[in-house]
Amino acid sequence: MRDTTAARRTTAAVWTAGVTAVLAAMPLLARDRLPDRLATHWGLDGDTPNGSMPLWAASLVPALIWLVTAAAVTVPLMRAGPPARPWTTVTLLPMGVVLTGAQAAVIRANLDRADWHEARQPTTWVVAILAAALLAGVAAWLLVARRRGTYDATTPDGGTPALDIPKGRRLVWFSRTANPWLQLIAAAIGLVAVGALVALAGGVAAPGTLWALFAGCAAGSLACAVFSSVQAHVSERGLEVSFGPLGWPGRRWAPGDIDTARMEVRRPAEVGGWGYRLSGLGTTVMLRAGECLVIRPRGRRSDFAISIDDAERGAALLNTLRTDRTRG
Amino acid sequence: MLLSLDKTDTRPLHEQVAGALRRAIAEGECAPGDRLPSARDLSEALDVNVNTVLRALRGLRDEGLLEFRRGRGVTVAEGARPHSELQIRVRELLAEAARLGYSRTDLIDMIRGMP
Repeated sequence: MRDTTAARRTTAAVWTAGVTAVLAAMPLLARDRLPDRLATHWGLDGDTPNGSMPLWAASLVPALIWLVTAAAVTVPLMRAGPPARPWTTVTLLPMGVVLTGAQAAVIRANLDRADWHEARQPTTWVVAILAAALLAGVAAWLLVARRRGTYDATTPDGGTPALDIPKGRRLVWFSRTANPWLQLIAAAIGLVAVGALVALAGGVAAPGTLWALFAGCAAGSLACAVFSSVQAHVSERGLEVSFGPLGWPGRRWAPGDIDTARMEVRRPAEVGGWGYRLSGLGTTVMLRAGECLVIRPRGRRSDFAISIDDAERGAALLNTLRTDRTRG
Repeated sequence: MLLSLDKTDTRPLHEQVAGALRRAIAEGECAPGDRLPSARDLSEALDVNVNTVLRALRGLRDEGLLEFRRGRGVTVAEGARPHSELQIRVRELLAEAARLGYSRTDLIDMIRGMP
């Protein structure tokens, strides 16, 4: 496992460095046959360019865009460990292809021109680049899917936690987690929404802006409030999760609807922030860094996770209830 | 918080729910100041009526184990843990006395007669 992780990191580093070098070097290598300024942008309608850059900028800007993207995608996921890494591939492979293709197209269009205004739009190149990017995206996705498949297969099924239920007893697990910061933000934005509503009633400013402000703040406040706290319980009826102070919305899984349950430590950086998150790790309801209860619903290929305290025992009880049910 | 109920228990349901909560407090499953799950959540998970749960919660409040706070729900009272242990022991004593044929008054007399 360690070797493949290291290998992946090396691959990502080599790919990033290689694309950077190609992007930066292309204009410099061809500088004898290029005008002082390079045409870098063409309008949708015409054939003539409407944007240009000096040679050094044409060399540096794409390389910088690439480096920033690569850093943004790689750095948080580097910390995340293997399961989240596949997203790097899906982002970086097509992105590298697009940038390299675009750079090549720009050089090709400007080659042997005396002035950047004479450069013609490289339509064929654009189409070819888009097709190549699509192919790269699909290839990356397939690669990731296969890798994830092998990863799942190596996860031992016997490693799932279980809890001993004494004979003749019924165990029920409860837990809740709240994020006071999200509650505070929800309250603050809610206050702005109320202020906008009052201003609207008083006719202080233009209704259009105020309505927009009110709608935006009300929606934001509601979203923050809903994902500021989470309650869960595990009983013989399965796992029930409900969000927000009102306990709505909620989700429920019967013990038979769950393949496995486990505890995992996750951080917001790994799943893309706070709240209801879709990422390479599946769905995560993230309130705070730390213990998450992760379940694999039956017949699904992705996980559902909620950040909640005491997740280990919840997962253990859920697994026990599930196996008890299948046994008899 | 893990609640444990005896499936073969024949006591009234509200006493069983109160007993499970008392044990959870005594075992430190929920610390003083912790919020209990809402009565609705408890009733759903334990598969008993909400009113039964509320009756159990009120009983525990009267024992000084729980506090009802407006806007904050039901929380575990300060120093509830030793209290809870004592309550459990008193109940065990009562049950044992009943099994041996002593009434409550007999038991009270026995305690009064203690030096």
